[in-house]
Amino acid sequence: MTASTSPFALQVPVVRERLANGLRVVLSPDRSAPVVCVAVYYHVGMRLEPQGRTGFAHLFEHLMFQGSPSMEKMELVRLVQQNGGTLNGSTRYDYTNYFEVMPSNALELALWMEADRMRGPVITTAELDNQRDVVKNEIRVNVLNRPYGSFPWIDMQERVYSNWHNSHNGYGDMEDLDAASLEDVQAFFDTYYSPANAVLIVVGDLEPEHALGLARKYFEDIPAAPAPPPADIGEPRQEEERRFSRTDPLASRPALAVSYHLPERGTPEFYAMGLLHQLLAAGDDSLLHQELVQHRGYVGEVDASLNFLGHMHNAQTPLLWTTVVVHDDDVTADQIVDAMEGVIAPLRETPVDAESLERARTKARASLLRTASDSNYPRFGLTDLLGAFELFEGDASRVNDIDARFAAVTPELVMATAREYLRPTNRNVLMLEAGAAS
Amino acid sequence: MIPPRPTVPPLAAFTLPPRRVEALPGGARATLIEAGTLPVALIRLSIRTGSADVPADSIWLDRFIHDYLREGTQQRDALEFASALAAIGGRLEVDADEHTTTLGVDVLAEHAPAAVALLTELARGPRFPEEPAERLLTDLRRTLDLAKGQPGWLSHATFRRALYGDQPYGRVIPEPSRFDSFTAQRAAEFWAATTGTRRTHLLLAGRFDAEGVLEAARTGLDGWHAGEAAPGLAVQAHSERTIHLVDRPGAEQSTMQIGIPVIDPTHPDYVALEVTNSLLGGAFSSRITMNIREDKGYTYSPRSSVSTRPGDAYWVETADVTTNVTGPSLHEIFGEIDRLRGEAPSEEELAGVRNYVAGSFVMRQSSPSALLDHLEFLDLHGLDVSYSESYLARVQAVTPEDVRRLAVEQLRPEAMTIALVGDRAQIEEQIAPYGPIKA
Repeated sequence: MTASTSPFALQVPVVRERLANGLRVVLSPDRSAPVVCVAVYYHVGMRLEPQGRTGFAHLFEHLMFQGSPSMEKMELVRLVQQNGGTLNGSTRYDYTNYFEVMPSNALELALWMEADRMRGPVITTAELDNQRDVVKNEIRVNVLNRPYGSFPWIDMQERVYSNWHNSHNGYGDMEDLDAASLEDVQAFFDTYYSPANAVLIVVGDLEPEHALGLARKYFEDIPAAPAPPPADIGEPRQEEERRFSRTDPLASRPALAVSYHLPERGTPEFYAMGLLHQLLAAGDDSLLHQELVQHRGYVGEVDASLNFLGHMHNAQTPLLWTTVVVHDDDVTADQIVDAMEGVIAPLRETPVDAESLERARTKARASLLRTASDSNYPRFGLTDLLGAFELFEGDASRVNDIDARFAAVTPELVMATAREYLRPTNRNVLMLEAGAAS
Repeated sequence: MIPPRPTVPPLAAFTLPPRRVEALPGGARATLIEAGTLPVALIRLSIRTGSADVPADSIWLDRFIHDYLREGTQQRDALEFASALAAIGGRLEVDADEHTTTLGVDVLAEHAPAAVALLTELARGPRFPEEPAERLLTDLRRTLDLAKGQPGWLSHATFRRALYGDQPYGRVIPEPSRFDSFTAQRAAEFWAATTGTRRTHLLLAGRFDAEGVLEAARTGLDGWHAGEAAPGLAVQAHSERTIHLVDRPGAEQSTMQIGIPVIDPTHPDYVALEVTNSLLGGAFSSRITMNIREDKGYTYSPRSSVSTRPGDAYWVETADVTTNVTGPSLHEIFGEIDRLRGEAPSEEELAGVRNYVAGSFVMRQSSPSALLDHLEFLDLHGLDVSYSESYLARVQAVTPEDVRRLAVEQLRPEAMTIALVGDRAQIEEQIAPYGPIKA
């Protein structure tokens, strides 16, 4: 460990076990309040849905609330809420998760429910049709019926990725959603929802031996199945800058998104890129905020991310580092891109100073702690980190190494990473033209 | 085969995490709660000034000031202040409602006292430099334009206008030409006139050194003016069965708010009203959601809630429904309200909802940020710790007849205001049976 790791960094207890059927179990006790989060992460997301069935992974997630061998439609939701809990599921690029946050007296019930769900959906055509309508309304409210709805996440990935797994619209085209059948549901379940392709995570008010015993009781006799075939989600190195534009008929002001491909997850360069994000775009002290907001007054805020559907730790690469701004007509996209390049170029030429790098590390440390203590669903933030590291790096306890990985980044590595990944030829510029009068 | 479904043992008696309350200089207060295991401190400096204090012709002056708070303090310019916070892992969040402006920051636990020092420095001495005023006004105009494109914001603004008219809670949409009167001097004068130690409450939850925090707060607030006590505000909400329609040609969905004024949190029946709301539309497994989402598929995220201000509250159902089922959605929503008014729920259904409301409370008391929200709620409504201590017992005491009675007394469909943002040409005929249309 180098001098700049902190005793105040994320450090949590992690207990890991693999059941006979291949299901991985990750436990992290936190006895400070009588609350527990139970989650199952399946290693399949938008990227692996079948061609001709865009949006299917997400539709499938909805269907997993519609009925199971022991529960009728909505019975799971009612059971969770009747016992004082809350629940959700989500579909991301590389995983689909299902979770309950419950008062800890309901731990065993939550495990039973997730084990029941893992045994497979039992649904009718009427339920499929109902959730198809619900999902279409989700797409309408989040994408179609609002300005900037697909900007930039769907718009950008459709244009910059060359591999279908990464480029297609994971929310789905309406025709593809219409084509989804009960046969598709069974095939998708059989391929991806096996115990060996999943991780059970329990975080909160638990005693590990006891929780592990319950996990065995409910999950271990779920039949093993072969792991799904490997998929190639790789992208070639980008050699030339690309520019795109589209008109949004609902938008009243132009907007701009600028994306760069990231280094591979888990590499030293990946952590250096995480610190470049902190330096350039996280917070009011960041270089891009200072340049675009404070000095030039081009925009009111700079919004940047390393993952459209989360953060740098909860997806596999390929990913994009993207900066998004909404601006006025009297500022051009070129002016903004040039101003950004004016801030980025020096990082390719000179090692960053020690004080700025240390501040970036501190911001990354605090950001990780905020992620881990996510409050909409108590204990879910840490659950999600543990699930991602178990699925993508094979060991959930690596969440405890993140601070050291950032600490190991040198000023020279930051410069080398900026040279390769913040090259103008690795850049993608998407201009949104405003189609609505303001 | 899976083993049989396990039974759930009763919820253990829940003890609230202890609150430490301390007096600070000039009548300011601090409330500290140690919570969680992660080394983060959540800090809020809550000041009793908000949009309701802004003159009628200056809507969004408060937002202009919030943006100005990012321009530094008398001791540090914008970059120096942001860098000082970033160096301890924090970034300033300014959050505000009608009566409260909160300067918030989450920092690494070791730095909580330093963060408190920075927040008090900002509260008592924002810089309000002249130079960025024009830039901030440009940003404000853009923000307004973007807001007007959002159907959810438009339906909220329309609903508020219908309920409160020109009273402060009804003033949501500003007139951009009035922005020209916003200046650095006005911002500084408004801030000075509506803040001070007497209006300040420091709230912390998470992990931190309490003595260090209190010392920093005493030093930081010492010598700041006490200021005027926050003025009271009496508001008269008015509701009648009218559809306030905002035409949005080509809209794929109709965005609606349906609601009515109800009892506020100081009323003895308020907790029973929360339970009633959860049963009717507040929870995922509630009646309205089961009907228009899980049965009909009209919508993705319908939800009802009780929105509160001091001495004032309204119940509201919010939904974005497919355009061609706008009328049928209204039919089903009012149908569920009528059903609850006509027949008390079964004890079984209600027991589940009581447990949901109780469990949600326990979970909120287990989350540092939700704990701080709860403290702000108590403050706003003049409630004390006894509200929290008695909450679970009051939830469990709600009877089926209480729920029916509250639905009859409070949720009167004949007086509900409907705000609708949608494609008039496609929906006018569908919605006409549900009330007179006012565009």
